[in-house]
Amino acid sequence: MPAFLKSTGFISISICVFLLLGYFVFIREEKVDYNADVKPIINQKCISCHGGVKKKAGFSLLFEEEALAATESGKPAIIPGDAKNSEMIRRLYSKDPDERMPYHEAELSDHKKRILEKWIDQGAHFSTHWAYQPVNLTTLPSKSIFDLFKKESGTEIDRFIDQKLKSIGLERSLEADKRTLLRRVSLDLIGIPAPQHVQLAFLKDSSKESYERLVDTLLSLPAYGERWTAMWMDLARYADSKGYERDYIRSIWRYRDWLINAFNQDKPYNQFITEQLAGDLLPDPTDDQFLATAFHRNTMNNDEGGTDNEEFRTAAILDRVNTTWEALLGTSFACVQCHSHPYDPFKHDEYYKFMAFFNNTRDEDTYDEYPLLREFRNNSIHQYDSVLNWLQTSSDANAKQFYKTLIKTGQQCINSLIADSLNNAALEDTKFLRMRKNAWARIKQIGLSNKQTLLIRYRSPVDRGVLTFFADSSKTKAFAVANINKTKDGWNIISIPISQKLDGRHDIVFHFDSPQLKNENENGIVFDWLCFAPSFPGSANKDFKAYQTTFLQLLNKPDAELTPIMMDNPSELKRNTYVFERGNWLLKTKQVEPDIPSIFNPQKNKYANRLDLAKWMTDKSNPLTSRTMVNRLWEQLFGQGLVETLEDFGSQGAAPTHQSLLDYLSYQFMNQDQWSIKKLLKRMVMSATYRQSSVSDKKSQELDPLNKYYSHAPRVRLTAEQIRDQALVICGAINNKMFGPSVMPFQPDGIWASPYDGRKWEQSKGDEIYRRAIYTYWKRTGPYPTQINFDGTAREVCTSRRIRTNTPLQALNLLNDSTYWDLSVKLAKKIMDEKPASIELSISKAYEAATGKIPNAAKIQTLKILYIASYKNISSQPEKTSQLIADSTIKKNKQLAAMAITTSAILNLDEVITKN
Amino acid sequence: MKSNNIHQEAYRHNLSYNTRRHFLRECRTGMGMLALGSLLDGCNFFSNAENELLAKNPLAAKPSPLLGKAKSVIFLHMAGAPSQLEMFDYKPELQKMDGMDCPDSFIQGKKFAFIRGVPKLLGPQASFKQYGESGIWLSNHMQHFQSVVDEVSLLKAVSTDQFNHAPAQLLMHCGTPRLGRPSMGSWVTYGLGSENSNLPGFVVLTSGGRNPDAGKSVWGSGFLPSVYQGVQCRSEGDPVLFLKDPNGYDRDLRKSSIETINKVNELSYEEYKDPEILSRISQYEMAFKMQIAVPDVMNISDEPAYIHELYGTKPGKESFANNVLLARKLVEKGVRFVQLFDWGWDSHGTDPGTALDQGFVEKCRENDQAVSALLIDLKQRGLLDETLVVWGGEFGRTPMQENRDGKQNSFKGRDHHSDAFCMWMAGAGIKKGFTYGETDPIGYNPIEGKVTVHDIQATILQQLGFDHTAFTYPFQGRNFRLTDVFGKVIDPIIS
Repeated sequence: MPAFLKSTGFISISICVFLLLGYFVFIREEKVDYNADVKPIINQKCISCHGGVKKKAGFSLLFEEEALAATESGKPAIIPGDAKNSEMIRRLYSKDPDERMPYHEAELSDHKKRILEKWIDQGAHFSTHWAYQPVNLTTLPSKSIFDLFKKESGTEIDRFIDQKLKSIGLERSLEADKRTLLRRVSLDLIGIPAPQHVQLAFLKDSSKESYERLVDTLLSLPAYGERWTAMWMDLARYADSKGYERDYIRSIWRYRDWLINAFNQDKPYNQFITEQLAGDLLPDPTDDQFLATAFHRNTMNNDEGGTDNEEFRTAAILDRVNTTWEALLGTSFACVQCHSHPYDPFKHDEYYKFMAFFNNTRDEDTYDEYPLLREFRNNSIHQYDSVLNWLQTSSDANAKQFYKTLIKTGQQCINSLIADSLNNAALEDTKFLRMRKNAWARIKQIGLSNKQTLLIRYRSPVDRGVLTFFADSSKTKAFAVANINKTKDGWNIISIPISQKLDGRHDIVFHFDSPQLKNENENGIVFDWLCFAPSFPGSANKDFKAYQTTFLQLLNKPDAELTPIMMDNPSELKRNTYVFERGNWLLKTKQVEPDIPSIFNPQKNKYANRLDLAKWMTDKSNPLTSRTMVNRLWEQLFGQGLVETLEDFGSQGAAPTHQSLLDYLSYQFMNQDQWSIKKLLKRMVMSATYRQSSVSDKKSQELDPLNKYYSHAPRVRLTAEQIRDQALVICGAINNKMFGPSVMPFQPDGIWASPYDGRKWEQSKGDEIYRRAIYTYWKRTGPYPTQINFDGTAREVCTSRRIRTNTPLQALNLLNDSTYWDLSVKLAKKIMDEKPASIELSISKAYEAATGKIPNAAKIQTLKILYIASYKNISSQPEKTSQLIADSTIKKNKQLAAMAITTSAILNLDEVITKN
Repeated sequence: MKSNNIHQEAYRHNLSYNTRRHFLRECRTGMGMLALGSLLDGCNFFSNAENELLAKNPLAAKPSPLLGKAKSVIFLHMAGAPSQLEMFDYKPELQKMDGMDCPDSFIQGKKFAFIRGVPKLLGPQASFKQYGESGIWLSNHMQHFQSVVDEVSLLKAVSTDQFNHAPAQLLMHCGTPRLGRPSMGSWVTYGLGSENSNLPGFVVLTSGGRNPDAGKSVWGSGFLPSVYQGVQCRSEGDPVLFLKDPNGYDRDLRKSSIETINKVNELSYEEYKDPEILSRISQYEMAFKMQIAVPDVMNISDEPAYIHELYGTKPGKESFANNVLLARKLVEKGVRFVQLFDWGWDSHGTDPGTALDQGFVEKCRENDQAVSALLIDLKQRGLLDETLVVWGGEFGRTPMQENRDGKQNSFKGRDHHSDAFCMWMAGAGIKKGFTYGETDPIGYNPIEGKVTVHDIQATILQQLGFDHTAFTYPFQGRNFRLTDVFGKVIDPIIS
């Protein structure tokens, strides 16, 4: 190269470097980024004393207005534009150890001090944390000239990934082989290996579109809904039991089925969460919309005798607040329960304003978990239809709606446990009101306008009882009287006419007595609920009696599936919400109304109820909803989130590894994809990033040991559900039946031992034991062992992330649990039935069934050694064959037993329980 | 702050162990070539041994941040809440007031689980005498305990704020009355690991045929990784779930199958270079070792006759006494935290089993012999100095006779009482033959030396070498600790 060119080159390079350097310095000098530069220092060094919890010397750095306000000294610690005269900066340099900040901790580095100084000199501007800024359309990283010539060009996702990879000197790996990809995408999208015909079609199809066709097929399979329901059940803390003490059965599986359908129908995510939060508040809600609200009825209930129902109702409400934030908004809100958030801009009373959205629901920790949606079956459907028709003839719209809701949901009822002023009466076991001889009780302030009928649900051990109701005082004339006789089979509901016109609200005072009660302590009537209702319509019609009887039968003993749902209180039972001092529910202070945190509500819009809340959450301007879901789905596919802390997008959570990608996907999810989860998942699995090989090399392990930048696909151990379901498919045992009450597959004895609960784990019949894991009965205080061993939780509270472990109990579980041994025998039989030509071929087939891949010779050889050793071992003790193969329907031989030992080993392989 | 950092560090290491590819970064030389069994040990040559241990085995023994006296804890929980008034808290005044209406001042504004209206006071259903050099009062239900009373510090004014079983048990073990937090044993194994790699670090034994009211959550790991949850060892069926091979397997078959699994996994490691595979290989080896170690330690039939006589144990049946003996065997083998729950102490007096003069006496008899034997046995083995033994229930019982729903119960019984009850601690630096705390003349309220459940937890953690205020784990955006924001070490009982 000629000398002048060299020197020109040198000069141009120098100029470039100079310009770049200048640009860099210029930027750094000109603008300190509050979020990137300042906030981390404040969070790490200052805020534990000058923040949400403590405000030492009256100085807090959490909110702008606080930080710039006068401190206890009377002067502000920060003077925008004047670092030199700002007390905060002076304290960083002070020589007096009692003055110098951080107080009695290591001095800040010069670099950090200068950042803070510059920030103040530049005006001490605060800015909003990235996660609280709206999701905007992101520009795609441009393609480099080289990318254009690359064989696989990848999708938009890959451009973001490649940009980051390049910056650390790594590259994406090549696409994984077809079989690996087939298994990976099947486990990810449907939770099990793809059906045989889908696998064959894909492996045969050599066209460019074969993978996309596979993805579309998988997304359309019913198994898809089951797989994603498994994820959502952790967030919803779904369980088939109530939680505390006897941990009795809760029938809420219809919600699980609702989830499966919602995922399979690809219900748009905005609608998906609106219905779960507020389906009951939608106009004339359908059964499905009511069922969706069971989401928040998965909170725990305490049946223990002697518990305060209000305490556990409150606990459930707090849990709904925390779960809504963690599951749907990716924010840890729980700390605001006791004090303002120490790091994020949430104030203490904002927690309770948010709680006010949930605090007015009907549920009161009652034994029967009211309100319950009744989905009628058989004859009850006909009865329901005929009563509905009857109601249609009425002109009283109010009564019509009242009765329809009453039949459908059992509301509006007053639970007997709110009774007070008891005289020879008691809240028995703190569950139901019991009245004895000459007993009195009261229920306060009930609206009686337009109420002509009193319905009660009760049991009585005695005949000839008289029940008398008074408004406000026993001195007034009784407004309703009923004769009570002994009830035979459990609860009974009767209708009592109200003989007076009583407008407005009144205390209901009532009395019970029976001549059969010989002494004070003998038990009389016990109430479940009371209900003040308008007259049953159509009293003038000749069929009135018949329809009223049908109605009462339907109300009393419906043939129906009952599911706990959310409903709001009628106005007379509306609860006020108060701020709890330091989170203690007994220390109620200021009264608050429903609202969202002010940082999200600069316009000061009104949000009155859960439906308004859902509207805010699903509004495209909400910065958290879409990001949270995108991040969650990413984590499900890639083993880690773009924000690692799925539960906390706040300033203490992990910083996003690819923020612009997260924003890009979140924007597309809301706009382009119209909240379609299937479309979003397709975007992700179509990317070359997803499709690359999971083999890592030395360079990537050195430069990116945690594979945060995706230079290869992650290897992730399967979830508890996937391990079970996959094994069922591999061994040909799976029962693909969907929906219905939870089932009980094999479980060792002695797992269930709850006090006062006589229930036993009774193994389900026939092939019900081979259903997918989401149908396994989930008892909170005695969870299914395999679920727990493989990192499931007890589902006591919302879990965003299962922390993966690797333990000997997992090994023992897969080696010795009868479930897996039984499946190993089934797999061995399946293979042997095909009469393969050699042991090698049998092993190869079994391995292929388990992993979708054909094993190499070394693996076959290793497994063959086990087969031969097993065969020899069994041959020396012939009784072993029948011990190993207990199933009487299977023809036993030594070859089969030895093969079962081999297939059991295969089911335990890392490659089988890991997504490759 | 120092110890806090250590645990933050440990936490981070555990996370990298659990979820990440930490292993290779630290240990990248020729792993796949090393023979099975020495795969992991090979690593120690290359880097900081302690960090390595943490990285590859979350249950590896770790030093405590402070000097601790206790290496192990045996926590004996009498589920249902035993009556302190028939065991430790002698109230002659209450005897005199037997049958009288309870003074209004005790019931005004109070909530009880079952008592309604005005109950009658119930005098002690036992006789009391002073024992040992310490002169501690014990009832006639504590015949054996008389001989070991000089080993314990008796806390006579423990108080809780929960009066229902499940929440009170949760408070006792998880530091909060709600579900979802890690139990004490999980915290401790998270902080200290286990001394014996063939046995779980945190073992739970139950007797009385029932789990405690709060279920398995009282030994759950809450938000800590599930590897730290208590492992329930059972005296019937598999001592640990899935420990026993399927029928027809023998030791040779199991050995060759695990060797095969590990060899094929090694081949997979060659392919993928995923360090998680190496962890899996070591976990399968450990499973194999546990299959021998656990039945061995759980088998009490090899114990000499004098031991059985001492404890009142009968091999082969599920009993509290058997569990107490097992607890000794487990700590002897290096298990960090042994948690016993004994069901049947809820003496309401609704039936003979819960009557203070019937079922309760029977419970005391079994308890008294086994628990006293434990202290004697630990002492003669030199283990008492390093084993902290804690005894108690989730709350106490009222000085009043229960009148459920306002009616006198048919048998002599007491309701739940949260304000004052008795617990004791022994061994591992706890004062010997010492009483702390006093209640009023009817045993209703503490008048001095009141301690809370969080104080008990703070003290246990201190004896293990933790500052309870610094032992934290980040979750949901804040650092959680066992003692929440409460708790103070009970200094007067520390020797």
